[in-house]
Amino acid sequence: MTLQTSAVTAGYSGTKAPLFRLALWNGVLTILTLGLYRFWARTKVRQYVWSSVSFAGNTMEYTGTGLEKFLGFLVAVVVLAVYLGLIQIALFYFGLHFVFEPTTEAEMLMQVGVFYISLFAVLPLILFARYRSRRYLMARTRFLGIRFGMEKPAWGYVWRAIAHGALTVVTFGLLLPRQTFWLEKYKTDRTWYGDRRFVQGGRWTGLYRAMLHFFIGAGLIVGGAVTGVVPLVLGQETEASSVLATCIIILGGFWAAFGYLYYRVHSFRYLSAHKSLVDNVAFRAEPRTGSVIGIYILGTLAVAAIAGAAFAVASGIAMATVGGAVGTGAAPAPLGFVVIALLYLGVFVLAGALVLVFIVQPMIAHVVGTVTIFNPEALASIRQRAYDPGADAEGFADALDVGGAI
Amino acid sequence: MTADAPSGSIAASYLDGRSAARQAVRIEPAGDLRALAITLPDGSVTEWPFDRLREISGGSDRARLTLALSAAEDDETGRDAARLVVTDPAAVAWFRGRVGTLDTRDVRAGTGRKVALWLGGAVAAVCLMIFVILPAMADYMAAHLPVEAETALGHTVMKQVAGMVGDGTDRDLVCRDEKGLAALVRLQERLAAGAGLAQPITLSVFDSEMVNAFAAPGGQVVIFRGLLDEATSANEVAGVLAHEIGHVAARDPTRIALRSAGSAGILALVLGDVSGGTTVALAGEYLLTSAYTRDAEAAADDFGLGLLANTRVSSAGMADFFERITGETDSMPEMMSSHPLSQKRADLARSHAAGQGPTEPALTDADWQALKAICN
Repeated sequence: MTLQTSAVTAGYSGTKAPLFRLALWNGVLTILTLGLYRFWARTKVRQYVWSSVSFAGNTMEYTGTGLEKFLGFLVAVVVLAVYLGLIQIALFYFGLHFVFEPTTEAEMLMQVGVFYISLFAVLPLILFARYRSRRYLMARTRFLGIRFGMEKPAWGYVWRAIAHGALTVVTFGLLLPRQTFWLEKYKTDRTWYGDRRFVQGGRWTGLYRAMLHFFIGAGLIVGGAVTGVVPLVLGQETEASSVLATCIIILGGFWAAFGYLYYRVHSFRYLSAHKSLVDNVAFRAEPRTGSVIGIYILGTLAVAAIAGAAFAVASGIAMATVGGAVGTGAAPAPLGFVVIALLYLGVFVLAGALVLVFIVQPMIAHVVGTVTIFNPEALASIRQRAYDPGADAEGFADALDVGGAI
Repeated sequence: MTADAPSGSIAASYLDGRSAARQAVRIEPAGDLRALAITLPDGSVTEWPFDRLREISGGSDRARLTLALSAAEDDETGRDAARLVVTDPAAVAWFRGRVGTLDTRDVRAGTGRKVALWLGGAVAAVCLMIFVILPAMADYMAAHLPVEAETALGHTVMKQVAGMVGDGTDRDLVCRDEKGLAALVRLQERLAAGAGLAQPITLSVFDSEMVNAFAAPGGQVVIFRGLLDEATSANEVAGVLAHEIGHVAARDPTRIALRSAGSAGILALVLGDVSGGTTVALAGEYLLTSAYTRDAEAAADDFGLGLLANTRVSSAGMADFFERITGETDSMPEMMSSHPLSQKRADLARSHAAGQGPTEPALTDADWQALKAICN
C-alpha cells in the first residue's frame, strides 16, 4: 500500500468504570442463576466492546443474543451427552483389554493413559467448536449495518488443524509458521463482509521473520546444554562450567518465552498486512510486543493487588464470623460457612471483572488502535449478506470450555 | 407522548441495511406525530412509526443513539437491518425521554416453546444416557470382559478408594498383621468354597474408621477396620462379606465401574472437566457408597444367605449386625447413610437363620481375635 491511498485508523473508546460495573453485575447474576446467566453476560460484554470500536465515526455492532447462546448450549449438551457417553464407555472397555498389573513406571503411565484416552476423543470436537465459535462471532458482527459472515466447513478445519498440529510437533516447532499461516488462511478465505470475501495473501515462509527471537531462545538452550555436556564428556567438568551452562539455559528459556509472544504479535501483524477484502480494501494492524507484555504485566499487578486486598478483607471477615466458634472447639455454624462461601464467590467475581478491565480491554484497545483500513471508500459498494442462523451459537465451545477472553 | 417534539429537522446518519454506504439524512416527526420522517440525500422520505422504534442497547457511548425498526425479520434481532444514528444531544435526550418503546424487547412468537422443547430434550437425553443406555451397555460389557482385565481394573479402583478414605499421606492402608492375615485367609477360603464362583475371591482389610465393606471388580472384597471394631462376632463379618460376595457373583462392581466410565464423560461435560480422571474417581465413589440398584441389593442378599447356608455359618450374625446398625441413629455409619438397611432385610436374615441346620462359627475365637487385631 502506498501512502497516497486514503486510509482510516480505528479507535477504541471503552473505559474502565462502566465495563467494571457491567462485569461485576454480570458476575453476581451468573452466580445467583447458578451459571445460567453467563450467556447473557457474555452478550452484554461483547455489545459494550464492539460498540467501542470505531472507524471514522462508525461503530461496530454485536447482534448476538443470550437466548440463542443458551439454546445452542442445550443443543451441544444433547449431542455431547450421547457422543461422550458412548465414546468413553467404549474406549474404557477396549482400553481395559490392554490393562495388566503394572510392574514398572512405564506400565503405570500406560495404564493412566488408557484412562485418559478420552481426551483424544474430545480434541476434534474442541477444534470444531473453535471454528464454529469464530463463525458465530462473524455472523453476529455488523459494521455500517452490514453483516460479517463465515462459511460452514468446520470439519475441513478440524482435520487440517490436526494434521498441521502433528506436523509442528514432529518437527519440534520448526513448521509452526506453516501451521499458523495455513490455518489462518483457511479461516480468512472463508470470511465475508457483506457480499465480499476476505483473502489471506502472503506466504507461510514470510512468518519465519517473526520466529527470530524464538529461535534465539532455542539456540541458547541448545548451546547451554552443549556447554554443560562437553566438559562432562571430556572429563573436565568444573563448577564454573556447569553454572555457566545453567545460566545460559535459563536465559534461553526466558528468551524463548519472549520469542513466543513476539511470534504471536508479529505473525498477527504479517497476516493482517496481507489480508484484503476482495478486491481493493486492505488492512494493517501493528500491535507491539513491548506494549502487549507491558499491558499484561501491569494488568496482572493491578488485578493481583486489588483482588489480593479484597481477599485479605474477606478472610478477615470470615475469621471474625467463624473463627470464634473454632477457637471454642464448637462446630462452626452453618451460617458461617455461607458467609465464607459468599465471600469467596465475591472475590472470584471481582477478580474476573478486574481481569476484563485491566488486561483484556487494554489489550483490545491496543490492538484496535493500531488498525488501519486502506481505501475505505470502496466499502460503500458492498451489499448486505443473508442471515446465518449460526448453528449452535458457540454452544459447543461453551460446553467444552473452549473460549476466548470475552 | 410526542407533543413537545422538537420542531425543525435534525441531522443524523442513516444506514439502509442493504449497502455499506452511510447517508447523511435529516429527521423530523412526520405530520401527525406518529412517525419519524427520514429524508434521504436523494430527497425521498422513509417513515418509521414511533411505536416500532427500538434502541440498539448495550453501547458504550451514551451520547450516541442507534435506532432500528422492530420488524418480523427472520434473524437473531427481530429488527430491520437499517440503522439510524442520532448524535444531536437534544434529540438523543428527547428520544430517550419521550419515546417509551425504545427499550421494548421483541420476543418472537414461539420462543418459550422452543426453550422448553430444547431444555426438556437436553434433560431427557442426559437421563436416557445415564439411566438407560449406559447401564445396558455396561451389563453387556461386564459379561464379556476377560478376568485379567477385570482384576487389574479392581486393583486400580481399590487404589483410588484407598486414596479417598486415606488421611492424605501415602500410607499403605492395607492391614498386614501376620496372624490376622492367616485368619483372613481361612475366612476367605471357607466363603469362597461356599460361593462356588469361577473367579477367585480375595479379601483384604483397609485401616479406616469407616464402618463399611465393598466389592471391587475382579472378586476383590475390602473390609474397613471400623466394621471389624463394630462387629461382635466373626459371624457378623461373614454375613456382611457374604452379601458383598453376592455383588461379586453378579459382577455388579465391574458393571458399575463401566457405567461410571460413561457417566463420567457426561458429568465432566456438566462440571466442565473433560478428562478421563473423573472416570476412576467416580468408579471409586460409586463403589464406596455402593450405589447399586435395589434389585441388585436384594439379589446380593439372596446370594449371601445361600452362601451362609452352604458354609454352615448362621445368618443370625448377619441379622444382628444389620439390626444393630439400623438401630444406631446418633452417629450414622457411612455404610448406612448411603446404603439404607431396612429392618425387613434383617428380618429376612433372622427367619433364614431359624430354618438353618447345624452351624459352626465362621472363625474360631482365636482367629476372630487375630482378625480384629489385623491392623495393629
